[in-house]
Amino acid sequence: MSASDRRVREVFIELTDTLVDDFDIIEYLDRLAVRCGELLGVSACGILLVDHHGVLNLVAASTDQARLVELTQLQNSEGPCLDAFMTGRPVQRADLNDDDPRWPTFTAAAVEAGFSSVQALPMRLRDVVLGAVNLFSDRAGPLDDDTIALGQAMADAATVGIIHQRAVARHEEVTQQLQSALNSRILIEQAKGYLTHSLGVDVDEAFAELRAYARRNNRRLTDVADDVVQGRLMLRPAPESPAD
Amino acid sequence: MDQLRSTRVWGAINAAAGGVDVPSLRHAVIACSESLSAAGAGLALTRPRGGLEPLLATGADIRELEELQFTLGQGPGVDAKTSGVPESATDLVAADAGRRWSAFAPAAVERGMRGVFAFPVGAGAAGLGVLTVYRQQPGPLHTGQWLDALVFADAVFVLALDHRLGVSVDLHEVIDAAFTARRAEVHQAAGRLAAQQSISVADALARLRAHAYSTGTTLHRVAVAVMAGQLWLESDDGYVALSDLDGTDVEQDGNEQEEEE
Repeated sequence: MSASDRRVREVFIELTDTLVDDFDIIEYLDRLAVRCGELLGVSACGILLVDHHGVLNLVAASTDQARLVELTQLQNSEGPCLDAFMTGRPVQRADLNDDDPRWPTFTAAAVEAGFSSVQALPMRLRDVVLGAVNLFSDRAGPLDDDTIALGQAMADAATVGIIHQRAVARHEEVTQQLQSALNSRILIEQAKGYLTHSLGVDVDEAFAELRAYARRNNRRLTDVADDVVQGRLMLRPAPESPAD
Repeated sequence: MDQLRSTRVWGAINAAAGGVDVPSLRHAVIACSESLSAAGAGLALTRPRGGLEPLLATGADIRELEELQFTLGQGPGVDAKTSGVPESATDLVAADAGRRWSAFAPAAVERGMRGVFAFPVGAGAAGLGVLTVYRQQPGPLHTGQWLDALVFADAVFVLALDHRLGVSVDLHEVIDAAFTARRAEVHQAAGRLAAQQSISVADALARLRAHAYSTGTTLHRVAVAVMAGQLWLESDDGYVALSDLDGTDVEQDGNEQEEEE
């Protein structure tokens, strides 16, 4: 394991502290993706949640490369996250360059993006699987058991955090929170698209501008996104990160 | 991938349409009510300046309750509009329902209703309205019914978008477009088009769909072309293709390339 006990404790407090007024689900999921990378010593992390069609949706990724690989996985309906989601069990591929025939399209995309191994962990709420966390590493080799256990604990803590579950959540409350998370993601995509035109940037830069504005003004990302697409807020490129 | 649920829901809507007509919003609302064993269902659409306006109801009693909710500004439908997530009352005679909706709850009970379940119709900033299901028996919807109701709300959403531009196409095309309607690129393209044309995101989504139908292209492909700057959709359905949509530089739907720009 690569993280100190103190740091692990801090992150778990952070992941379970979701019952606050200014809770922002997209910020939360992005932070989770970054924390997974940090604590588990992996290169990148992607997070997928299931919708009411039973389809997984990408809701956060710690890097652009991870995002592209995740989208490849979703579009081709093959990959470790889908397997972890379907089975409710961790799925590991210690070397993406081995001759394992699983997920040919996903594997090619992951290798192309510079990854050498992948681990997928189910996001569980009691007996229900709500999504999966994908961990990508640029080194081949299995993750050790402690790291996997810590990753699974983070995934489970995050599931509880997303559902805002104090005790036993009813099914409809779980649905409400999942819907809220997925709908927030759609709103962010709409705002990104809006900014590609109004700022003349690409979608990744658009997201960076959106987030920079929300942080500078201490506002929730989803509120800023809503103001942008409704034409109530005109963003200008942040002075410290000029668009180019 | 649970495409079965979508197929079943669209099948029920098609059956409500008598299998011949192009399904309309009315058919979707009727099918939703029937498949949830409800007393009835209603659809209210968002007014241009906010607030909700009842559009459809399966009967006179449901219409009354819908109007009552929006007149009083009380009820699960009003709450679902505000929160953007499903809201429900599993027993309107329970104390918490009476506290939450002091005027609406007794009025609904008086009309024989015990359960009310409201589902937002929309996606992101494109909130079109609320689909509300009324039941005479108390108790929660079971898991499968919840999921069905959400898929019905999605179906109502795409039908309402098409209704906006007066587009009427056959069921297969609607379903094809419905399956991809939640993809990231589709919503990015809607946001981009909204900015380009100074229109709402809902209108932008409706135009993307209309363009896909009129050119026989998939919604996803249209979205990718808009995001790549290869397609510029003008107002009143005119459009300018900056490069041929059949050109090789636009990815076919289903290929692995996503969101490159």
